[in-house]
Amino acid sequence: MQHQKTAGCSLLRVGALASVILMSTACSGGGDDGQSDTTHTWWDPYPQHEENSDWAQRVQACGEAASVTIERTAYDTTDLTNQALLAAQEGTSPDVILLDNPAVPTLAETEMLTTMDEFGLDTSDIDKNLLAAGMVDGEAYGIPIGANTLAIYYNETILEEAGVDPAQVTDWASLTDALEQITDTDHRGITFAAIGTEEGSFQFLPWFWGAGADLRELDSPEALEALELLQGWMDEGYAPNSVLDNSQNTVWEEFLTGEFAFAVNGTWQVNSAATEADFPTGVITLPGKDGGIAPTPTGGEFITVPVQGDPERYDVTTQIVECMTTPEGMVETANTFAYYVPPTTEGQEALLQENADLEPWVEAVRNAKGRTGDDLGTDYATISESLWNALQNTLSGVSTAQEALEAAQAEATEQSN
Amino acid sequence: MTSTLRRLGPSRTGVQDSGSGEASRPRRSGHRSRNPLTGGRWAALAFVAPLIVYLGAFYVFPLYRNLDLSLHDYTPRAFVQGDADFVGATNFVEVITSTIFTSAVVNTLVFTLVSISVQFALGLALAVFFRTNFPLSIGLRAAFLIPWLLPMIVSASTWSWMLNSDNGIVNSVLTAFGGGQINWLTSPEWALVSVIIANVWLGIPFNLVILYAGLQNIPDDLYEAAHLDGAGAWRRFWHITVPMLRPVSIITLLLGLVYTLKVVDVIWIMTLGGPGNSSTTLAIWSYRRAFGTGRPDFSQAAAVGNLLIVMALVFGFVYLYLQRREARS
Amino acid sequence: MNVRRSWWRTALGLFFTALMLFPVYWMFNVSLTRTNNLRADPPHWYPKDPTFDGYTIVFQQQLPNLATSLIIGLGCVLLTLLISAPAGYALSRLSMRGSGTIGFLLIVAQMLPSVVMAMGFYAIFVRLGWLNTIWGLVVADSTIAVPFAVMLFTAFMSGIPKDIIQAAKVDGASTWRVFHSIVLPVSRNSILTVSLFAFLWAWSDFIFASTLNRNGDLIPITLGIYNYIGNNTTQWNAIMATAVVASVPATLLLVLAQRYVAGGVTAGAVK
Repeated sequence: MQHQKTAGCSLLRVGALASVILMSTACSGGGDDGQSDTTHTWWDPYPQHEENSDWAQRVQACGEAASVTIERTAYDTTDLTNQALLAAQEGTSPDVILLDNPAVPTLAETEMLTTMDEFGLDTSDIDKNLLAAGMVDGEAYGIPIGANTLAIYYNETILEEAGVDPAQVTDWASLTDALEQITDTDHRGITFAAIGTEEGSFQFLPWFWGAGADLRELDSPEALEALELLQGWMDEGYAPNSVLDNSQNTVWEEFLTGEFAFAVNGTWQVNSAATEADFPTGVITLPGKDGGIAPTPTGGEFITVPVQGDPERYDVTTQIVECMTTPEGMVETANTFAYYVPPTTEGQEALLQENADLEPWVEAVRNAKGRTGDDLGTDYATISESLWNALQNTLSGVSTAQEALEAAQAEATEQSN
Repeated sequence: MTSTLRRLGPSRTGVQDSGSGEASRPRRSGHRSRNPLTGGRWAALAFVAPLIVYLGAFYVFPLYRNLDLSLHDYTPRAFVQGDADFVGATNFVEVITSTIFTSAVVNTLVFTLVSISVQFALGLALAVFFRTNFPLSIGLRAAFLIPWLLPMIVSASTWSWMLNSDNGIVNSVLTAFGGGQINWLTSPEWALVSVIIANVWLGIPFNLVILYAGLQNIPDDLYEAAHLDGAGAWRRFWHITVPMLRPVSIITLLLGLVYTLKVVDVIWIMTLGGPGNSSTTLAIWSYRRAFGTGRPDFSQAAAVGNLLIVMALVFGFVYLYLQRREARS
Repeated sequence: MNVRRSWWRTALGLFFTALMLFPVYWMFNVSLTRTNNLRADPPHWYPKDPTFDGYTIVFQQQLPNLATSLIIGLGCVLLTLLISAPAGYALSRLSMRGSGTIGFLLIVAQMLPSVVMAMGFYAIFVRLGWLNTIWGLVVADSTIAVPFAVMLFTAFMSGIPKDIIQAAKVDGASTWRVFHSIVLPVSRNSILTVSLFAFLWAWSDFIFASTLNRNGDLIPITLGIYNYIGNNTTQWNAIMATAVVASVPATLLLVLAQRYVAGGVTAGAVK
């Protein structure tokens, strides 16, 4: 860190004549960064949780247990990664960052994060499929504080009217049949997110993996099948054109209008489905092509510890991380957010004891798969971009599914080299 | 204002009365060859000094940083560790040979030229319209500025809301009048059109304000004289408004150009540059490389950004040329 | 002016304004719409079964942020004028070597992507300890307006009739006096225009605020909005309500400024 600061300074000196005068004094006095021994800084991607929210209080309680005050700042998810890079460059990283899981390998690659091993934190209890998202070269760079994943919500009223039994929707063919039946009764079939961002890839992956495709080979026949499934739905009018512009959040807003029979969405809408929807809802797992549960991508945040200039800060940080990751702590987090499934078997069982309705979600999380797993690491980001481009190009009619996937594979290969 | 005139009035006549007004006349006519304001150089320097210090302090470093980024290979790792390899023009070559390059340049030109010409035309028409006072004119003119003070996330989201292919109000109106559904944001044919519409809407207030202020500077008696000469509204517009508004127009267009070239937020929020790059401009491309994916490529982003700066430089030269021609005439 | 004709103009003006402000109405509509009606197809022209939750939240949470935005906007206006008005005068009137170069640099300066500017400021502010301060944000926001303001002042001030300045010079007035008691009053219109722009840009800035003032106790309203955009939820009615509430004081300010512009004697009238 110290070394970085000087490098940054000399860089500046070359750059800005007029700024030099300002810089030179400031650089020599650097190193303190305004951090004190009695406060620890904490960044998370939950701006919706205000200063007095349950979540903020929970964070604060962990600070108090380690006798420090936690200064918490919330960013939106994309902004958080950028801010973390910027702060690391200037040597002003916070003590703790809660990171969206695909961002963990990206930041780990920059060497700005400590490994959990270095920290003496035991990760053996954490479900392997969940921990994998934060692993780079066999090292864990964070601990998931909870996990979530995707499933299909359905509108019971519409299904009854169309005579569709949700229990019969077990593979792609039965799902498409159901959609046809629903559209015939003048309701809309299914809505999902196919936007040109990570959310688009996130929601496409269950179909992609469910067909047996592999992220290393985007132009495989299996991948083509998955893409043609969605394209077929759009051509038949089972899915609206707006899916191309839908974030996961918009999908949910569409579902709440009561016009759609199915909507792909995540654990985080459980509460909203129970309280905001003025029709009865249910959940089914995403089906694989020929039946079974399709692997869905894991979502959720990891608690990570950025490298600090002053190693003495780590003692307190360890206490804070431990406080957040005890089995009781995990359940408390799950309850605070109402949409997290604890990442340990012990935690999951404790959660089910409190709320047995979450069974399908716990099941889905156990079957879920990390996006950056399969040793993809930082390559995932590039592959994912190619994947959502293929999705957009196909559904908007820019190119055929085959062409789009071939282009995507070519792009991904070129970029990862 | 009136007090200034009053203060000036007597002294002016006083000067002329004493006869020294004669002396000022030849000097004025010869002021192009020699500076009439002796000692003005130091005064001028003192007047621009704050600006120069300010530019040096706050622009030089970012400008240098942008250049530095584009000449190195800044992976996220190198960005944090500060040890990026120098790669010379490699980033630029990669950008120019990229498959997106041509379409991004074309989109940038279409987006910029259509946006600024339409918003300038509408802004000018509105400025002329509002030049004459009528009941409510002040309030209405102020209302036209409201789009400007909305946070971009709000105005751009509202537009994408209205243009949604399935539940947007625009399509709802179109279908009510017997039209078909237009996939404004999700079809390659319409995406660029949609973001241009929203951008024009955002740009009208800017054009209206400057052009209106420019119109205010045209003396009323010019119009009155023309009116007395029997010139119609159209003739008055072409022979008084247009030439008198030239300096202001040039500035408005130039600034509009510079601001439009680097527009990111409105396109990003509405279409993310898609579908299939159909609304990807150079600025969007640069932004996407830096922040649009899970793996930032700051170097390529900076290279695209620098190409944009070069484009602006070209327009800057055009501006300088026009300004010099203006000064000569 | 013929009365009937001017009413015809008012009607036309109202029509144009309504057309222009339709998106603003739509924003207002959304601010009152419940989540389950947000994506109704076809959309509702007015909020059926309106909810005031958005406004309740905004009045509880956003008022301090509104005040911060106002302070930053006004501070930015002040700083911009201080730097750009003298510079504009120097470039337009006092013949200066290198004025072409400066004009050129101003164009380049405006072309720098704000993201790059923000990253530069971050590096500078970390060292100065200006992160998370209002002052820092005022300085950063002024960089959007200063190049523009200098160019505008240069253009407008070169239109000031030479005789006025000449006469004062002959009277023995110093450059400063000429600037202060003649050029500035005559340029009132352009000063107001520049102020308006500086204010509005500072008011609507998001990128600088999000990079430079994240942890501050006082955050501007554009950042406040992001409290309602969670990683998996978006509270649209609160977002739109914030925009509606925030636009009220700013609109009032605009109307006042406009009245002042219209009421003043214009620079061109002085010949």
